[in-house]
Amino acid sequence: MNSTAIIEIQNLSKTFKGATEPAVNNISFSINKNEIFGLLGPNGAGKTTTISILCGLFPPSSGQVFIDGKSLETQLQSIKQIVGIVPQDIALYPTLTARENLSFFGHMYGLKGKDLKNKIEIWLEKLGLSESANRLVATYSGGMKRRVNLIAGVLHSPKILFLDEPTVGVDVQSRNVIIEHLKEINTEGTTIIYTSHHMEEAENFCTKVCIIDNGKIITQGTPEELISKNESTTNLEHVFLQLTNTKLRD
Amino acid sequence: MISKLIASVKKEALLLLRDRVGLSILFIMPMVLIFVMTLIQDAAFKTINEKGIPIVFVNNDNDSLGNQIANGLMHNDLCSYNDSINGKLATAELAQKAVADGKFLVGVVIPKGATEAIRKSVTNLVNQTLDNSNLKASTNIAISDSVEITILIDPVAKKSFINSVTSNLHEFISEIKTKIMFQTFSEQIADVIPDKKNAPKSAYSQTQIIKYKEVYASKNEDKIIPNAVQHNVPAWAIFAMFFIAIPLSGSIMKEKNEGSVFRLHTMPSSYLLLVNGKIIVYVLVCMLQFLLMLTVGLYFLPMLGLPKLVLGNSYFAIFLLTMATAFAATGYGVMVGTLASTEHQAAIMGSLSILLLSALGGVWVPSYVMPEVMRNISAFSPLNWALSGFYKLFLRGGNVSHIIYDVLKLMFFFFVTMIIAHFAHTKKRTV
Repeated sequence: MNSTAIIEIQNLSKTFKGATEPAVNNISFSINKNEIFGLLGPNGAGKTTTISILCGLFPPSSGQVFIDGKSLETQLQSIKQIVGIVPQDIALYPTLTARENLSFFGHMYGLKGKDLKNKIEIWLEKLGLSESANRLVATYSGGMKRRVNLIAGVLHSPKILFLDEPTVGVDVQSRNVIIEHLKEINTEGTTIIYTSHHMEEAENFCTKVCIIDNGKIITQGTPEELISKNESTTNLEHVFLQLTNTKLRD
Repeated sequence: MISKLIASVKKEALLLLRDRVGLSILFIMPMVLIFVMTLIQDAAFKTINEKGIPIVFVNNDNDSLGNQIANGLMHNDLCSYNDSINGKLATAELAQKAVADGKFLVGVVIPKGATEAIRKSVTNLVNQTLDNSNLKASTNIAISDSVEITILIDPVAKKSFINSVTSNLHEFISEIKTKIMFQTFSEQIADVIPDKKNAPKSAYSQTQIIKYKEVYASKNEDKIIPNAVQHNVPAWAIFAMFFIAIPLSGSIMKEKNEGSVFRLHTMPSSYLLLVNGKIIVYVLVCMLQFLLMLTVGLYFLPMLGLPKLVLGNSYFAIFLLTMATAFAATGYGVMVGTLASTEHQAAIMGSLSILLLSALGGVWVPSYVMPEVMRNISAFSPLNWALSGFYKLFLRGGNVSHIIYDVLKLMFFFFVTMIIAHFAHTKKRTV
């Protein structure tokens, strides 16, 4: 694995307008090239806020972010070109077919012509959607929508892929297909930043994890390192519960 | 950049084509409005102008005055003459009741002996003049005129309308009275002049010193008569174009709700490029809408017996003004869609504001009949700019130079709405 950092986050904070507490509170970490980096935490921990800042959806209140050596503050447009995102909610046009959706999003990433067509066909084939590609997305099952949602984020072969709970609400079959292809993308050179509530999935999928709560980093390391830190923990879920406690979150 | 714009236009067109409710709002609703409003207004126009004003006439005189007025009313296109009520010869009492019941708008009662009273009055005047031929007081002698004609008026009728009808009746009756008086005067003079060859002939009826000609001050080569079609087709076409704000703002809100806008913000494409895709599609839709409305005015309304729409002299000016109106309407839709927070809010904000702007703009009621305060406010409605521009082209026969100011105002409105939308969008993203 290449150990050079592709994402550098320094003292990142975000306080939303009208909020008394920061959603992200002075966090710093780096993500190496080709890593599958799991950003884990309970609801309201600050995972989605962190990913949204990294994607350029809104600016941080303070701190600096460098992606592939470029400053997020000054070179956002060129960063957007090398980044892909698979959001938590389905971000597709329901009244367009899967093929029309992918064609539109592909064009927005600067793909065109045969190259775009080929990529769409390859991905539809890989994720088992070729036969239903001309159906409106509104008629798809949850799992099928998730798969199209994933393709829309990876079509332009991004250097960095942000996945915000990509397998939420899908059946085991769809989840396995998604995880399998994400691993394939990673082996082809894409760095993955991933958030999930599935601790077992994260343990098996991620090469490094960072647990955050209340906007702060609690711990980070490989899943094996975190599990072995405490003798009473046998898996990542135990580690997670021990660090974030069992109290219900809003 | 171009391929991104084409993709954005294609996506927008597909979304619109699959939105059947939105399409029906854009095309069917304004067509129905044009048909309904034109037919209603044309029917009202016909009641007064083609069938004529329903008048009941009571001729108790049965002599020259009564007969000539009856004859005049019978042959006047403005009147629908009646001298009987429910099969009975009209009397003053029956006429009053019928007018009060709303069966007739106006009733005219000529009293018994009216002609005789005029003749007597003139004879007295002549005799008096001749008897005092040595005196220079003839100008001080007044003609005694005690004939009282009663004009009955429907109390429900509009005052301005009744004023116009009664003043026409007054003028008409006075003319006949004068004619009778002049004839009687000529006959009396002829009797006392020894040389009857030199006696003045009654030439009154052949002489018309002042003539009137009413011409519409239009530069149009065709003779355009203002009618319900000339007013309603452009008015409702503009209304429909601005109604595009509802599906357009709805489409912006849908993108927000369905999450696609979230993905678009993470992509290396500017918001302006995505909005431009919408603007291109919706401007084209507006142009199509207008073309369809013109087709309705040119071909479909005449099939229903309505007048054919006359387009004026400059097709290029129509194109230019339509384009500017389309941009103004689309800009307004983008602004509403950006300012609103929910789809429901966008629909209410869009529809109510368009209704208000169209009422102010003179779509429902022409702005010239509005009170002065409202007329001044009306001058700020973009629908009023567009409508007054189309009136200049369709009714006054204007060309590009006559509408350029309206075009510039509409384009200015478009840029203002886009600037507001840009700031609102930026502000909403600053969380």
